[in-house]
Order: sequence, then structure tokens, then C-alpha cells
Amino acid sequence: MDELLQYIITGLTVGMVYALIALGFVFVWKSSGVANLALGQLVLISSWFTYGMLVQVGLPAWIGLLLVIIFAMALGWITERFVLRPLIAQPILSLITITLGLAYLIEGLVNFIWPKSVAALPHIFPQQTIHIGTAVVSMEYLLAALISLVLFILLSLYFRYNRMGIAMRATADDQLAVQACGIPVTKIFSRSWMFACVLAAIGGVLMSSIGGITYGLVHTGLKAFSVVILGGLDSFLGAIIAGPIIGLAENVGGGYLTPLTWPGVKDVIPFIIIIIVMFLKPYGLFGEERIERI
Amino acid sequence: MLKLNSIEVTYLNVIRVLHGVSMAVEDGTIVALLGANGAGKSTTLKAISGLLHVEEGEVTDGSIEWNGQRIDKNNAEEIGKLGLVQALEGRRVFGHLTTEENLMVGAFNRSDRNAIKQDLDMVYNYFPRLKDLRTNIGGYLSGGEQQMLVIGRAMMATPKLMMLDEPSLGLAPLLVEEIYDIIKRFNTEQKTSVLLVEQNVRIALSIAHYGYVMENGRIVLDGTADFLKNNEDIKEFYIGLSAMGTKKSYREVKHYKRRKRWL
Repeated sequence: MDELLQYIITGLTVGMVYALIALGFVFVWKSSGVANLALGQLVLISSWFTYGMLVQVGLPAWIGLLLVIIFAMALGWITERFVLRPLIAQPILSLITITLGLAYLIEGLVNFIWPKSVAALPHIFPQQTIHIGTAVVSMEYLLAALISLVLFILLSLYFRYNRMGIAMRATADDQLAVQACGIPVTKIFSRSWMFACVLAAIGGVLMSSIGGITYGLVHTGLKAFSVVILGGLDSFLGAIIAGPIIGLAENVGGGYLTPLTWPGVKDVIPFIIIIIVMFLKPYGLFGEERIERI
Repeated sequence: MLKLNSIEVTYLNVIRVLHGVSMAVEDGTIVALLGANGAGKSTTLKAISGLLHVEEGEVTDGSIEWNGQRIDKNNAEEIGKLGLVQALEGRRVFGHLTTEENLMVGAFNRSDRNAIKQDLDMVYNYFPRLKDLRTNIGGYLSGGEQQMLVIGRAMMATPKLMMLDEPSLGLAPLLVEEIYDIIKRFNTEQKTSVLLVEQNVRIALSIAHYGYVMENGRIVLDGTADFLKNNEDIKEFYIGLSAMGTKKSYREVKHYKRRKRWL
């Protein structure tokens, strides 16, 4: 019983972080129709950048984290401006392929700057543990869940009330009509890439403060894909709900299956879910319900 | 005042769509741009609003001037900020946004919250039905309501020139009249110029001050609304009345005589 509770709490937390990263994918997909395949690498580079700032440069945590956010925003802006914008009006496949190129570029860059394969972040969060019933949960998990939750709320407020947020949703509906309203869509694209990178960075910091920095962070990006596919490529709500589902499946399923099968079965579960979803509900749980009046 | 000086528009560098179109929209007037499908009406609008660049089209010759300033090389965003606002053909509302959010997108380039609030009330005043539907999702509105929403969205940008592309498309005659009354009222009360693209010649000329008739990328006839309404060719080919003011029987006419060509 203890372990079940433990698995559930870990699963929910990790799932919410996945959801956070997945939201970044959904932004870009909705506004510009580009599938960002560099998601995992964005998580990786921002985690290493955090390591660079906090450990190698030795900045205090809050300055370092602020710089990480700024770095992520710059990364998003540069990506949109110099990688994707030159390809506007090209076939969408080229745009998607170039994100794959971007993924390998970032990976190479990371290997070049930080050649070691594993590193640990200093403790950003307090190290206490909390007893929930019979389960022991570390503060880090709870804070990660809390931060994700706060970000979900802030983002949904942004999209409901902010001028730019509403314009971003409008762009997802009709790009030409948005331009007819005098709104620069390139600005919208650039904003959505900045969002994607910042969310990936926050996700990266949360994940690596829990589990350290490893190449496994790239797989976090891949798991965010399974979140996106389960939730529906174009659904914010879908990502937020599918994240914890994937996290739970991964941790609860993995927790009980590992003794029976082989170690690492946990990491396979999200991808098994992708395959099942693809068979049963190719648009995901909350994928585009097309509004069409007949 | 908007002026087009014999503009030519070419798509993808090879397909020439407009062959020297010249026209003018005086401040505060309603100008109708009439013609059949494929005449180049929408292309003319897109050339003015800068949306042509998005569709790989270009003004290859001639110039477009707004109050003496050349705008044919500007992009849609800059032109929108100058106050030239286009409502696209085919009721393109943002399907997943509410009515009010749709209207707020129209006010994107403005920052004065009070003025935006006032204009929101103004739009609701012109289209009371939209006020009742303010929290409804755009995609579920009826065709007429969507058309109202698209026009309302253009109004939210405080346009100096509002360009409407076929506001009557696919709507019931009664609704068309209602919408045209509102356009007319908006023009008189707010002194906003309106450039109207229409196939429904009768209704367009009922509110327009001046009209242009396009065919195959050229202006073939222009004049005041009264002149056009009484023009025999217009009556026959666009309104469907013969010289006697009665409906014409096409059976009695040899097919090659039916359509007059100016070219």
C-alpha cells in the first residue's frame, strides 16, 4: 500500500512536468503547424545551462534561474527567427525536418560545451521529506508539482485574458484572418517558440533537480510527445490531463512490473501508450473537435 | 483618400490577374467594386490590404496611395495600422474564440483600454444580436451572426477605410438588407470610407455612392451609383432586367448574344 501511494505521488508530479513540456509543443503546433521534434534537446540544453550557471559560474540560485529563463527566451527567439522564419511558405515537412536538424545541432552543442555525461544540480529546493499517510515524499516532488500547477493556471489566464494570448489562439484558428486584422503572425510564431523553450527549460530544471542531469532528459522530451499524442496534438487541456496519466502509468505500472519483468520497463510504458492511442484514438483524447455547422 | 494607379498584380511571378486597375475611394464614401467570379475583385482588395504578399502575389506595376503615401510595398501589419482594414470573404471568424474575444482580436493594435471598451459598446450597438451572443463560441454562430461578427471585428480596429469582401455571400435576403443598413449607418455616423466588393449588384448600389465594374482584371465601367443603376448593360447583365424593366426570357436570345463583353 505504501509503495502504491508513493508511485502515485511520484507519477503525478513527473506527469505534471511532462505536461508542462508538452504544452510547449502544443503552442508551436497550434500557432504554426510545426511539430517541434527538438523538444527533448531543448530540455537537455537548458538543464546543462542551469548547471553551467549554478555550478560552473557559481551564481546564487535565483539569479541563475532567472538567467536560465532569459536564455530559454533567447533560444526560442533565435530558433524562430533564424531557423524557421526563412522557411515560411515552404512545405510543412521541411519545417518539421529542420526541427530535427535543430535537435541534433543542440545535442552536438551540449556535447561540445559539457562533455561529461552526468552532473548533479545543487539543491535548489529544500531537502525535507513529508509524510503523507504512510508514504514519504520529498519536498522536491511537491514543489515541482506546485510550480507546474501555478504555471498551468497562469498560462490559462494568459490565453483567456491577455491580448497576445487571445491573438495566439486566433492564429491557431485562421492565420490569414489574423493578418487581415493587422496582427504580425511572425511575432505570434516567435512568441510561441519562446513559450516552448521556457517551458522546456522549467521542465528541465525541475526534472534535473530531482534526478540529476543525464542524457535521459532527452527522453523526457520524448515522453512529452506521448503526452501530446494521448491528449491530442492541439489541445492545451489534453496535455494537462494526459501528463499526469502518462506519469501515473509510467510510475505505477513501472513500479509493479519491474520486479516481474526487467529493469527499465518503466521508460517503455509511455511509448506503449503512444502505440495504443494511435490505434484506438488517433486524434488523442482531446484532439481537435472540428466545429463545423451543417 | 485611397488611390490605385493602374496597378498590375501577378501571382507566383507568372499569373497576371489585374491588368492596370485604377480607382479611387474618396474619404467618407461607400464605393462598390462589382463583377462576376474571377474578375479580380478580391485580388484588388488584397493588393490594398497587403495580404497579397502572403499568397505569393505582388503588385508588379502601378502604385497604391493612401493619403498620398505609397503603400503597395508595405506589409499587412503596417497597412492595418494605417487604418485600412479588410474583412475577408467567407465569414472567417475565429471558430474557437468567443464573440467578444473575436472582437478583441480586431482591436489588437490598440492600447487604450477605455477607447476599446467604448468601441465594443459601439459594435454591440450596431449589432445588438452580438451582444446577446458575447460569450458564445464563434464557430457555433449562424451564418448571419458570423458575418456580423466579421464586420464588427473590422470596426474594432477603428478603420479609416473598411474593406468588405462579399458581406452578402450565402445569406438570406432579409439578413443581407439588415447588414447593409448597418454598413450604411456606420458609414454615415462614423465617417468611415467603405470599399465594398459584391456580386449582388442591386444591394451594393443601393448604399454605394460610386461603383466600379470589373471583368477579367480590368475596370470596364465606372460611375455614380445612380448612373450605374440606370445603365442598360448593368441592368441587363448584372441585375437581370431588360430595357423594359421586366424579366428577360433567355430562350429568345441566341446564346452568343447573351453576354456582352467589353473586351
